[in-house]
Amino acid sequence: MAIVRRSLLLIALALYTSFAAGPFVWAAMMSLRTTTEIHRNHFAFPNPAHWDKFSDAWFKSNYAVYFANSVQVVVVAVLILTVVGAMAAHCLARYKFRFNRVIYFILFSTIIFPPQITIISLFQILVQYGLYNSKLGLTLVYVAIQLPLTIYILESFFARIPADLFDAARMDGYSDWEIFWRVALPIALPAVATTVILNFILLWNEFLYAVVLITEEANRTLPLGIQRFLGDTQEDVGMIATGLMIAIIPVIVVYAFFSERLIQGMTAGAVK
Amino acid sequence: MPASPPAAGRDDGLPKPWGTIIAFLLPALTLYVGFTAYPAIRTLWNSFHRVLPRREEFIGLANYVELARDDIFWRAVRNTIVWACTSPLIEVTVALLLALALYAKVPGARFFRVAWFTPVLMSYVVVGILWLWIYNNDWGPVNVAMRALGLGAWTRPWLGDPATALPSLIFVTSWMWVGFNMVVLLAALHSLPKEVIEAAELDNCGWGGKLVFVILPLVRATLLNLIVLSFIGKMKIFDLVFITTKGNPLWATETVSTYVYKRAFEWTTFDLGYASTVATVWFVIVLATVLTLTWAFRQREKLEY
Amino acid sequence: MAVVTIDKLTKVYDRGHAPAADNVSLDIADGEFMVLLGPSGCGKTTTLRMVAGLESITSGTVSIDGRVVNQVPAKDRDIAMVFQSYALYPHMSVKDNLAFGLKRRSVERAEIERRVANVAGILGLAEFLSRKPHALSGGQRQRVALGRAIVRDPKVFLFDEPLSNLDAALRVSTRGEISALHRRLGATMIYVTHDQVEAMTMGTRICIMNGGRVAQVGPPLDVYRRPANTFVASFLGNPPMTLLAAVATDRSGGRCLKVGDSEIELPPGRCPPLRPGSQVTFGIRPEHVAQSAAANGAMIPVEAEIVRVEPLGAETIVIARLPGVEKLVFARLPGDAAFAMGERRQLFLDCGMAHVFDGDGGALGAGDT
Ligand SMILES: Nc1ncnc2c1ncn2[C@@H]1O[C@H](COP(=O)(O)OP(=O)(O)O)[C@@H](O)[C@H]1O
Ligand SMILES: [Mg+2]
Repeated sequence: MAIVRRSLLLIALALYTSFAAGPFVWAAMMSLRTTTEIHRNHFAFPNPAHWDKFSDAWFKSNYAVYFANSVQVVVVAVLILTVVGAMAAHCLARYKFRFNRVIYFILFSTIIFPPQITIISLFQILVQYGLYNSKLGLTLVYVAIQLPLTIYILESFFARIPADLFDAARMDGYSDWEIFWRVALPIALPAVATTVILNFILLWNEFLYAVVLITEEANRTLPLGIQRFLGDTQEDVGMIATGLMIAIIPVIVVYAFFSERLIQGMTAGAVK
Repeated sequence: MPASPPAAGRDDGLPKPWGTIIAFLLPALTLYVGFTAYPAIRTLWNSFHRVLPRREEFIGLANYVELARDDIFWRAVRNTIVWACTSPLIEVTVALLLALALYAKVPGARFFRVAWFTPVLMSYVVVGILWLWIYNNDWGPVNVAMRALGLGAWTRPWLGDPATALPSLIFVTSWMWVGFNMVVLLAALHSLPKEVIEAAELDNCGWGGKLVFVILPLVRATLLNLIVLSFIGKMKIFDLVFITTKGNPLWATETVSTYVYKRAFEWTTFDLGYASTVATVWFVIVLATVLTLTWAFRQREKLEY
Repeated sequence: MAVVTIDKLTKVYDRGHAPAADNVSLDIADGEFMVLLGPSGCGKTTTLRMVAGLESITSGTVSIDGRVVNQVPAKDRDIAMVFQSYALYPHMSVKDNLAFGLKRRSVERAEIERRVANVAGILGLAEFLSRKPHALSGGQRQRVALGRAIVRDPKVFLFDEPLSNLDAALRVSTRGEISALHRRLGATMIYVTHDQVEAMTMGTRICIMNGGRVAQVGPPLDVYRRPANTFVASFLGNPPMTLLAAVATDRSGGRCLKVGDSEIELPPGRCPPLRPGSQVTFGIRPEHVAQSAAANGAMIPVEAEIVRVEPLGAETIVIARLPGVEKLVFARLPGDAAFAMGERRQLFLDCGMAHVFDGDGGALGAGDT
């Protein structure tokens, strides 16, 4: 009886798994098949596997450019975010001063802001300063939108570093900046890694700000490229699937190596 | 011995390191002011103006008056709120069931947890395109499966039918976020003190009893927190709609976010002022509902095990 | 070579609240081991941190070798501190922990190596140099914390309850090590603790604090034998000195006290003549209560009801009640003392060792052993 119940439960879980992961497997299969093959049978295995579709997408459909843009924008944004966010978080966690909690609350509360409240004016502002349609502009905006969450996660970690440690470093003769750089940051490495991975994923997938702030083909990030490609070639299911996989693979690679850390990062704000 | 103490008698100790504090905060605050605070205020200012590419003109509350009579806006508000109210409940319920299943020491629990989490790692663009295909009228797996099961009469272009477009998209977001909620709930379940659950067992509670009387009350805070988070996420929803339906058919899937985008950047009115008004009003609505929710869900007493 | 002078040092954290340290004045001689002793929250840490330069000073001065250092940052005071939580850098090896403070002070690489090796030798850390703190036992961590202070070769060492996270056995041995270290280095040390055994065994002098103020300063045994007030009297000693409310009578030239229903006459050395009827406090340590009259002493018999008997083996603590007195009297008696609970019998107070305090708790008379 118990065995039957257990098997039923396992079957249900397996079904849910195929429901959750099935679409990706399907897209992965289609990414290796031509559209003609797909329209003959939508659910067949790639046979033969058309790996050349990836090089087609990469070179002929501009995915190399989209990919490079995404990497550039996201990597620079994550670097700035980590340093700037960690500095602010360290400061808010370590120093007691008037308005400390006010500043923390103001920064943190933007997490619930709907993006519309800033996006129209950001468009105007970036146009004004010649940052519209530039990777630099998008990078700075990305830093700004991820800053609250980054500070929130890091602050709660920094706050748990005992104050004695900073006092000890002070007596050892280290300046405030060195204490941050050589004591606080290395100790907070796990939390820093969490925010790095989290920010990487969220910005890699970001679409709304990109679609508003970037129009030029040469500056498109991957999500924009895919959307553009979808618009141009509605019917070319096979090539679109290949494009999707190009966008997904980096995420899957990161996930394969850091699944626990990534899960931790994504859920950091939700666990009380 | 010193002849006399320093001249300043009081508070002559270490000064507050204001220089250091400002240096640490300045980059973050600059970015915050430049890319969040200033744009937000400018949006508010815009909302009282007609903002054309080369000209701005003060028009008082005219935008707000127009907004009050804007049927599409209210349709978008309704759609978004329906989305934000149903999706969290579906997500949290399914997630709780799955979390309980994994909590009951199923073999391969770690694998399931990692596998179910994947959808949330994909961008809405990717997810949107996948589900465009899944809902495809001719060859999408949904309709194919229904025909195979003899339900051919019920097939339809799921995203093209005004009656099913919104529910279909809500289903997609739930599909995406269940795994996320499940992971958080599972962590909450694992952090429950074993003794309390064992005590309930001794008190002759079955699985149902344990769930209702012990587990649910103990993970209540997490559940409510997840609901609020999901709610906030759905109030912002844009990418998925933009990729799949663009608000069609007949504004059945229009959300406030897509409407703001369209009014600002697609409609040929070229007026950013009206879109700013929509954004401002929506900002106030979101803030008010989220604050109300957090207030209503606030932990009344601290739980002691 | 360092003399630390603390003059009227005051710290107010929150305006309107009582000061955490209140007019603390203390002269610490070169090479002295000064212990700050007091109950939790009495301002010991605050005082120490002001000396270290980690806390701003509300008023008063701290001087080292005659130089006022109020405005000198912690790193330039040439002071090392051992923290209660050890505060080891968790991401650095033991060796790097020891060397971290030296690197900043432009000490040469070879000199750092030499000093670290030397200190590791003294503290028996040589084989752990490459480990991270999390791979060390509590006692070893404690030693690294000590070592980090010693390598710096500072003018002054500060310790904030360095032993309170160790288990009892380790505490005793480390106590001995720190004392030995003090003798060996001959450095000025200020040591904060709430443990009177540490204070009594380690201090050249102890400074007892209460509510932010200095209650008494002096060599440990002096303070034990001549407590300046009821707070010190009851804080030092375990079990504590028994303090009973008493009224001076007009007999024996104002040196006879009425404690409950008993009358106790004090020898001239213990008490000045008191005005009859004045309210005072009579104090007697447990070891000065006996079960029989000694041949020599001025023992005063009192009727007592035995309330509790705690046989500890080497000694027996007897807790008794004198007639007409609410508070209980502690007696430390030999281990073979045979007492029964509820029994009524005579106890003998060695009044040559008794203390008398005035209505405000200040000690009266120049009593001595
Ligand atoms: N940072 C602080 N802010 C406000 N009050 C403090 C702070 N640190 C200590 N205090 C208060 O000052 C008093 C003395 O504290 P402390 O010096 O730590 O005592 P001790 O070390 O003797 O236990 C206590 O009442 C404590 O609550
Ligand atoms: Mg303390």
